[in-house]
Amino acid sequence: MAPSNTAAHTRLELCRRFVATVQHSTNLGIEVLETGEDSVRCRMPWRAELVGNPETGAIHGGAVFAFLDQVGGLANACAIYPDYEITPTIDFRLDHLRPAESGRAVIGDGVCYRLSSQVAFVRVTAFAEGLEEEPVATGLATYMRMKIPRGSDREAPRE
Amino acid sequence: MNELARRVTQCRSGEAAYQDLVDHVPYARFLGIQVEAHGEEMTFVLPKNADNLGNPTLPALHGGAVAGFLEQSAIIYLLLKMGEPRVPKTIDFTVDYLRAGYFRDTFAECRVTRLGRRVANLAIDAWQVRRSEPIAIARSHFLLSEEAEDQLS
Repeated sequence: MAPSNTAAHTRLELCRRFVATVQHSTNLGIEVLETGEDSVRCRMPWRAELVGNPETGAIHGGAVFAFLDQVGGLANACAIYPDYEITPTIDFRLDHLRPAESGRAVIGDGVCYRLSSQVAFVRVTAFAEGLEEEPVATGLATYMRMKIPRGSDREAPRE
Repeated sequence: MNELARRVTQCRSGEAAYQDLVDHVPYARFLGIQVEAHGEEMTFVLPKNADNLGNPTLPALHGGAVAGFLEQSAIIYLLLKMGEPRVPKTIDFTVDYLRAGYFRDTFAECRVTRLGRRVANLAIDAWQVRRSEPIAIARSHFLLSEEAEDQLS
């Protein structure tokens, strides 16, 4: 099936379809809130099973990492839109500035600030919902662009 | 003594299996992390599980799930190695993804590069087929003590 026949009509739609195909991201409960030309904002609800420190109820740093890795991939999808490519992570560094407060969802912003022919460069920030001025984590990542050859049976993800 | 400290003490003395400590952390259960102890050496295992997939067509593991596995492994490792049993706080975590993680069991081993009074530096390797072909390598800094936290805030 040609990608053009199944292409998402908007970046938001593309990102939502993308997340729906990624089992682990679905399990994390990731929702896509907004998209821009090269950016995305997502939400990961607080859930007891994502807790890292049972004494404080704070979400595990690893869960925040997995969330933001997905946010970065979606920022790439926005920058590459209307084309669609898969972008495996080359490296990802996350700084944990403060704990993610128990009971609050985490909001993640991603920006693909440079898209070269081979590599996508991304910045990510996360904060507890309602506390945008106090980020819980900031990160930098690079992703490899893997162009999907024409005529391939791979296509933009569908639900 | 709190619940965590009690479990760590029991693990160290051999009264409890290391797995008891892993199972105390909700996120570790979410990923399905197992720990194998060989004397004082530890290998962490992320068993093959469709819940941790990222790319459905390959299929390949979600890079974030691998990172979460490595971070949790490092925290458990530190809890069992350091003096005062207190959850170390991740300062930063960096992962280099070297190969695709395929749909199979993944293993991890941790090395303490430096264990300071306030900060620990760890290197964590993940592999699937052989140690010499890691799928991802991570390094990380952890904050260990209360005083350190006071000084940073």
